[in-house]
Amino acid sequence: MATTLRPSQVRVHLARQRWRLRLVWAGLSVSALGLAVRLVYLQGVQAEWFRERAAAQQKALIRQPSPRRTVVDSQGTVLALDQPVYELYAHPRLFKQPIPQIARALAPILEQPVAALTQELQRAPSGIILARGLLPGVAHQVKQLHLDGLELVGGFARVYPQQWVGAELVGYVNREHRGQAGVELSQEALLRQPQIPALLQRDGRGHYQSTTVPTSWLLDDPRQLRLTLDVRLQRGAQEALRQSLQKFQAQRGAVIVLRVKDGAIRALVLEPGYDPNEFYRFPLERFKNWAVTDLYEPGSTFKPVNVAIALESQRVRPNQVFYDEGRIFVGGWPIQNFNFDQAGAGGSLSVSEILEQSSNVGMVHMMAQLPRRDYYQALRRLGLGDELTTDLPFTSPTSLKSEMEFVNYPVEAATAAFGQGLALTPLKLAQLYAAIGNGGWLVSPHAVAGLWHPQTKELTPLHQPPRVRVFSQATCDAVIPMLERVVERGTGKPARIPGYRLGGKTGTAQKAGVGGYRSGKITSFVALFPVPRPEYVVLAVADEPQAGNAFGSTVTAPVVKAVIERLITLDGLPPSRKK
Amino acid sequence: MSYRSTWWRPWHDMDLTLLGAVLTLTTIGVTAIRSAGLAQHTWDWWQQTLIALLGLGVALLLARLPYQWLRRWHWGVYGLANALLVAVMFVGTSALGAERWINIGGFHLQPSELAKVAVVVTLAAVLEQSRAPALWTIGQAALVVALPWVLVFVQPNLGTALIFVAITLGMLYWANIPLAWIVLLLSPLVSAILLSLSLPVWGVWVVVMAVVGWFSLPWPRIGGLAALVVNLVSGQLGQVFWGLLKDYQRERLILFLDPNQDPLGGGYHLIQSRIAIGSGGLWGQGLFQGSQTQLSFIPEQNTDFIFSVIGEELGFIGSMIVLFLFWLICLRLVLIARSARDGFGSLIAIGVLSMLIFQVVINIGMTVGLAPITGIPLPFLSYGRSAMLANFIALGLVESVANHRRKSLY
Repeated sequence: MATTLRPSQVRVHLARQRWRLRLVWAGLSVSALGLAVRLVYLQGVQAEWFRERAAAQQKALIRQPSPRRTVVDSQGTVLALDQPVYELYAHPRLFKQPIPQIARALAPILEQPVAALTQELQRAPSGIILARGLLPGVAHQVKQLHLDGLELVGGFARVYPQQWVGAELVGYVNREHRGQAGVELSQEALLRQPQIPALLQRDGRGHYQSTTVPTSWLLDDPRQLRLTLDVRLQRGAQEALRQSLQKFQAQRGAVIVLRVKDGAIRALVLEPGYDPNEFYRFPLERFKNWAVTDLYEPGSTFKPVNVAIALESQRVRPNQVFYDEGRIFVGGWPIQNFNFDQAGAGGSLSVSEILEQSSNVGMVHMMAQLPRRDYYQALRRLGLGDELTTDLPFTSPTSLKSEMEFVNYPVEAATAAFGQGLALTPLKLAQLYAAIGNGGWLVSPHAVAGLWHPQTKELTPLHQPPRVRVFSQATCDAVIPMLERVVERGTGKPARIPGYRLGGKTGTAQKAGVGGYRSGKITSFVALFPVPRPEYVVLAVADEPQAGNAFGSTVTAPVVKAVIERLITLDGLPPSRKK
Repeated sequence: MSYRSTWWRPWHDMDLTLLGAVLTLTTIGVTAIRSAGLAQHTWDWWQQTLIALLGLGVALLLARLPYQWLRRWHWGVYGLANALLVAVMFVGTSALGAERWINIGGFHLQPSELAKVAVVVTLAAVLEQSRAPALWTIGQAALVVALPWVLVFVQPNLGTALIFVAITLGMLYWANIPLAWIVLLLSPLVSAILLSLSLPVWGVWVVVMAVVGWFSLPWPRIGGLAALVVNLVSGQLGQVFWGLLKDYQRERLILFLDPNQDPLGGGYHLIQSRIAIGSGGLWGQGLFQGSQTQLSFIPEQNTDFIFSVIGEELGFIGSMIVLFLFWLICLRLVLIARSARDGFGSLIAIGVLSMLIFQVVINIGMTVGLAPITGIPLPFLSYGRSAMLANFIALGLVESVANHRRKSLY
């Protein structure tokens, strides 16, 4: 075909114009140079800027949502835990199917009518919240639909399996997952597990690279917040208190069980209580732990503390006798026994008998043995006038008159002798009884045992303030038998338990209101158990019982008895030998 | 010594520099493909290696054969290439809406890649015969290219269609067609673009083209007038054509000027490629260490955007080495064209040169933000088995031209 050209002709023909070759060189050089200049610009001048852009899109600061710590009682019973839940958002803008079809698919899963869902989905192009608190199983069903435009956002919901039981101590969290009461509030820092943000690498599809996940994310801390509470005891105490309050139509009541040696709260019941799962359905005052926050005049229940102060001062001997006139006047004010109208003068009474009969006049004479300044100092040493240190939120300082008043007006010391004119919280009173019970140590009442590792069974206790010695062993050894006699022979009889030894003191006090005493009264009973080496303080308070026969002995002593019976079964305590 | 008969004697006059440059580039390419595929654990690099070895064998075989046999068979080659292009329309498979292939036992044969070489061979044979420059020569070339061009264009494979144009213009230039005519050939396109940029500049361009036509075309008055009319009309046609394009098509053509207008859509590849190359800096982030590459930020990175791997991981130094190797290949191709025994061989070398230089400039230009996305791969570097094979066939033909050159020049 085309082989007519001789090589020599071709050569002349193609090479005749040398400028063509030069133009080829020029073209080659210009293109190479152009690309090279561009590369200098990108990789030299702008390299740093591009590096920053690369880092910006390849790395993201991520926070891993971690659950709030589980709260358990002393036996490991779960009181509060975080459950994974999902919120379902719809972005109709991204839907690949028509809205009615998506509504039909979702309706049975979300248990909502199709029509309502359809209407909801037409409301906005994006960001419609369809459901909150979806359980993982339901969320999985939604995921299995494989529909574009649906977004499941994971989170946690706080669940309280014991419902009302223990809510007084556990508290609750609000919708933002923040503690609002109880240890949920006071231990917020401990319960919220630290969310360590990490710089994760992500690829072009937006997937995070698992190799850049910090190991701390994988080693999550399974430790639980362990309380000193025993749910079984709590439940029993709640039932006993509830029954008694109902019987006497009392406004409210409380039971506290405190371990004397360290102040661990084994039960703290407030009635009426609330269900933390549905906190929003209850009036605000239910959330207040008034056994820790509200002050009241302890009345007769404070007498054993005064006895301990008197004995400790060495100015009163346990066997000393005082004359009880039944009624006396101090600084112009009449002071009489609760039974003066019926019984008149009490006669010569030993210290023990003063307690047994709850003699106000006897107490005034006994405490008058102390210089008022010394008495005041002794009360201050017990922490009266100070705030009680606990791990529960909102404690109030106990109320005590000023030293000037107390020292200069004899009536102040006189009323203090039988527990009036000073005010403290039920928990503070329990702490003072614990000091009598444990050989004189003022311990800090607390609800949190520490962080408990469910696998290794290791308990990391929280720091407790150091205990303070306020009474000698001798003083305690003297007071405890007196308390036992109150139960054996005095006002505490209704708390007697056959075969077991316990001591205690009743109290029925007028409520202090603005400008004087109101009609309402507070009945209480505080017990130390078992005697002679007490392990527990059991305190019961009933506020404004309405029935006519409502006294510490009738309303609260039976509650304490029921609680102690429960303690006996739970701890398997053997009966004591009679002395 | 050179007369002694040795086993390598048949390849004695081959251009070893050219072969070395090509093999170096291929090695760099395979390494870059391996790097781009690390995250996905793909075996593309191994496939590419195998086909490169096969291609090398084919190239050595072709280098040994005297290329003149093709002069006799060029219509056969042309017919076969077009037949494959037709066949792919019926039995081909396609992905991503372009680049159709025929599946032959797992090997995806893309006839458009082989058609490039066929066009070079056919045009070389046809243009060799045109002793004196004439308009008819352009006509002949146009007729030869028209059929495969249409077949490729309707695939649609705009990139390869453009490569055909580049090959044709380069070979016409080498066939002593007056430069003015080539300028006139391109003038309608320039006119269409200029009108949308600036009216006065377009006016000057039209007048200049009329003058060029007057002085260069056989019948000055008719020629000048024709050049004037064609440029006037094509200016308007450009406007009409631009109006006919859909928004996204227009965007795609000009997006490279400012990819941030559509950072998650059409501009995404361009932005990510630029970030990768830019962040490479002078020395690069290290082989297999480029974060953009290893985190798969650049789609199609092992094919059209392979240069971004080199830019990021081997930096400016690596990029310049690649540019130098391409420049060296072009240099050798020009020298082979200069020393070829005949016009046929010389034109083959220039055809291959045009093909390579156009692809390299457009592809690298695209990755560094100087050219729009056209789907043109980077020769010897991009993953693509048909392209690799076609490129090695082209190399073999050029080596044959070198191997059988006139010895007197050396």
